[in-house]
Amino acid sequence: MTEKPKLGVYICHCGINISATVDVEALTEYALTLPNVKVARHYSYMCSDPGQLLIKNDIKAEGLNRIVVASCSPRMHEPTFRKSIQAAGLNPYFLEMANIREQCSWVHEDRTEATIKAKKLVAAAVAKVRLLEPLEAREVEAERSALIIGAGIAGIQAALDIADAGFKVYLVEKSPSVGGRMAQLDKTFPTLDCSACILTPKMVDSANHPNIELITYAEVEEVKGYIGNFEIKVRKKARYVDFDKCTGCGDCASACRVANRFASEFDEGMGKRSAVYLPFPQAVPAKYTIDPKSCLYLTKGKCGKAPKCAEVCGAGAINFEQTDELVEFKAGAIIVATGFDVFDATGKPEYGYGQYPNVITGLEMERLVSASGPTGGKIKVFNGAEEIVPQEIAFIQCVGSRDKSVGVEYCSRVCCMYTAKQAHLIVDKLPEAKVRVYYMDVRAFGKGFEEFYDRVRREGVRYIRGNPSEIFKRGNKLVIKAEDTLTATPLEDEVDMVVLAVGLKPRSDYRTTMELLRLSQSPDQFFLEAHPKLRPVDTATDGIFLAGCCQGPKDIPDTVAQAKGAASSAMIPLAKGKVTIGAQVATVFEATCRGCGFCVSICPYSAIELVTVNRMGHMIEVARVNEALCKGCGSCSAGCLSDSIQPKSFRDRQILPQIAALGVLR
Amino acid sequence: MDLDKLRKTAAEVVSRDDVKYLIGWRPGSYGYRVAPGFVEEASAAETLIFSPLCTINLATYLTLTEKLPLPRGSAPDQRKVALMVKGCDSRAVLQLLVEKGIRRDQVLLIGCPCPGVVDTALLSLKYPETESPADLKWNGDHFLLRQDGQETAIPRLSVLAEKCRLCRYPNPVISDITLGEPVEAQLTAEDSAVAEVEAMELGARAAYWEEWFSRCLRCYACRNSCPLCYCRDCVLDRLNPTWVNRAVNFSENTAFHVARAFHLVGRCIECGECERVCPANIPLGRLNRKLAREVREQYGHEPGIDPDGKPFQAGFKPDDPEEFIL
Repeated sequence: MTEKPKLGVYICHCGINISATVDVEALTEYALTLPNVKVARHYSYMCSDPGQLLIKNDIKAEGLNRIVVASCSPRMHEPTFRKSIQAAGLNPYFLEMANIREQCSWVHEDRTEATIKAKKLVAAAVAKVRLLEPLEAREVEAERSALIIGAGIAGIQAALDIADAGFKVYLVEKSPSVGGRMAQLDKTFPTLDCSACILTPKMVDSANHPNIELITYAEVEEVKGYIGNFEIKVRKKARYVDFDKCTGCGDCASACRVANRFASEFDEGMGKRSAVYLPFPQAVPAKYTIDPKSCLYLTKGKCGKAPKCAEVCGAGAINFEQTDELVEFKAGAIIVATGFDVFDATGKPEYGYGQYPNVITGLEMERLVSASGPTGGKIKVFNGAEEIVPQEIAFIQCVGSRDKSVGVEYCSRVCCMYTAKQAHLIVDKLPEAKVRVYYMDVRAFGKGFEEFYDRVRREGVRYIRGNPSEIFKRGNKLVIKAEDTLTATPLEDEVDMVVLAVGLKPRSDYRTTMELLRLSQSPDQFFLEAHPKLRPVDTATDGIFLAGCCQGPKDIPDTVAQAKGAASSAMIPLAKGKVTIGAQVATVFEATCRGCGFCVSICPYSAIELVTVNRMGHMIEVARVNEALCKGCGSCSAGCLSDSIQPKSFRDRQILPQIAALGVLR
Repeated sequence: MDLDKLRKTAAEVVSRDDVKYLIGWRPGSYGYRVAPGFVEEASAAETLIFSPLCTINLATYLTLTEKLPLPRGSAPDQRKVALMVKGCDSRAVLQLLVEKGIRRDQVLLIGCPCPGVVDTALLSLKYPETESPADLKWNGDHFLLRQDGQETAIPRLSVLAEKCRLCRYPNPVISDITLGEPVEAQLTAEDSAVAEVEAMELGARAAYWEEWFSRCLRCYACRNSCPLCYCRDCVLDRLNPTWVNRAVNFSENTAFHVARAFHLVGRCIECGECERVCPANIPLGRLNRKLAREVREQYGHEPGIDPDGKPFQAGFKPDDPEEFIL
């Protein structure tokens, strides 16, 4: 370093968060005794405008060239102070923060001891800041398009917002149709809007929007790159139906030799479909798909003399020669909207799901009450072999939610209300029916929820506080064994049908998505947001955002709100057309790098690769860091046996004096 | 092992256009000594041997080769290096491949199934060596020693190297040409040497290592003979920051040996070269074998076995039991 270091040390009281436990005045006096320190000040809120002004003025007046701020964790305010010293004409990376709040005042009670520790932390920061090098953040071009994975309501909404703003959107959906879970629902709580009526227009828009490229029946196979420059590979699975020729007339499905033999995924197995099928009549795109697992021709190689679907198709769209197709494109941002699965009710064997046909799940109930459902909206179930219209119906709440016995501790947030809604629909359709709801607590927290819950109770639905212990069959009735915990009465209620309010679970294939995008999980296994409060739609990886239930259970309005949030965050790099790359990245010392690739395997951001370089005529491999991807986490450095890769600002020669100043080293 | 076949194969290999030279074993200058033989011409293959004295792990020479600057415009020699490997040596080569220390197309491996080599130091202690060259042969439970026209049968276990008593991989795990018949893994004895140190009280164990490390001369022979210490510039040699001071004393010696042991965690293939070459007889094998066993038991990882495996220190399993984390 050519210029002599002139340090300013700024000590924050953080109201009384720090000053109550640390003697800030003594700390300030101590700081002045440290080498190269010209100025030391303390102030009540260093991050406030007057606090930052103190620093800026001193830089100008005293010619300070290195700044130490002793305050909170750098996570929150490092960017703040970097900006302020940059405004005063200093390199923003000539800053070191001593965390005397989280790592000192908040965790200690003894003022004397805490002050000693704060002094050490400040001394350590002073030791390091003198050795920092000037760094420059860089900007790279960003691709002005977005990839959205999953075309449920979250994915569709985010796609429409981004597309409306004028950016290209690639909307990739795994199943043959967009719509997701919301398309399966009948009415939506608490307003009782018809789910299809509010969703289908959006589904159509997502297919017709000039800026949206809808890719259905496809899976994202590879994601490389970084914010602004993701390189994506998508596998379009073979539909065996020519997408452009298919008119959606459905002749193939009626002609199919195995017509209506297979459980319909869309109807949750309550209805049947053919081997060639449209998931539901309002599906978008309205193109048929041949299921390779059920089609006779595709499984056995033979379907009568010739496949009937191909014979009847006027458009000649059936094509058994079709193969998977790989599509590649670039995107500047990614939104993950992969949705949820419902809890598998066989995990609670005491409720008899899978054993008695008249014990069904909430999602199955949605299909049953839906006018487009397998029964045309008539509520009827099989009781043994006999089809009945149930007269006594019971709902059981919290099946696979708030239940440690099945490993789910969280509340699924929608079951109380969808149960109330379904109870209402039953009362509406079967006015004579007796409806009971067994619950632990009713969580009616949203707008209009409590009012709706009240309305349902006034309609005659009986709420019984107590989770049933068992359901068994007696005669042709199902018996629910429970205890009304409000009156401490044991109950044995006989009913015709039981609806289990199953909770929400991460999708069964969440691990694939997680590995594909290197996402993290929260303890409930849903994808983890970057910050639970302030960055709820971001992930730890820049440019990848979360929307909808893949991040945690939520209802439709919350999902739409989050999708809009994710869309607006994703549009930032798209609108700017540029992304800033942090400067504190790892650097490789190529002369000593032995090219073993340990860092390549360790890097959680895939930011390192081995490249071949010419060393005096010999071609050797060395590690190279993609600065746009690197977060400066330092994992590579920990794994490097020859100490040849280190993050800038955290080099050994900068950290070791810092550690030494703490009194650990001689 | 048929020496004629070995020499003939070596001569053929060296004559190949795509082979630069062959590294094998040849008799050393006296007694029990065996030296690495660098064979560049077919005629020189006549000097090669393979006997229970061939303890040297030749894999070390793959990465030791100096790469001199090439004149502008000339291409580097891309020919292979042929290497004779025992079971343990082959694991070193495999680990080097996994760690990208060498490329598969850079080596041609001649595998020599190995019934176990001798501990040369132990041998010369029990059967003092003379200046004249000695020949040692495998013969069932015995080694046959021929020296100065005399033949002596030596009970195998009395002079067998410690690592061979624990050997689980006597046959090369990777090779292009295999000489001789596969050998059965003879003994998978309990590692009594490690157990002995483990059984010590903490204080006694510290004293044990203090005793040994204090004797270290810091000649770096252990590091230089190690096939897996192939960094171009060892961190322990650096001055800024100085991880290990130049001073030869207990503290710095310990730092050196502990750092080296940790750099070998999940990489050491237990060839025992470090211990064999140590002029102070420090039982480094015990240190490395202890860590190798921990890795095997705690993580189910064994280096130098799986050509498609990831380096242990760069691996991560999401379902790691992490039993040791409280």
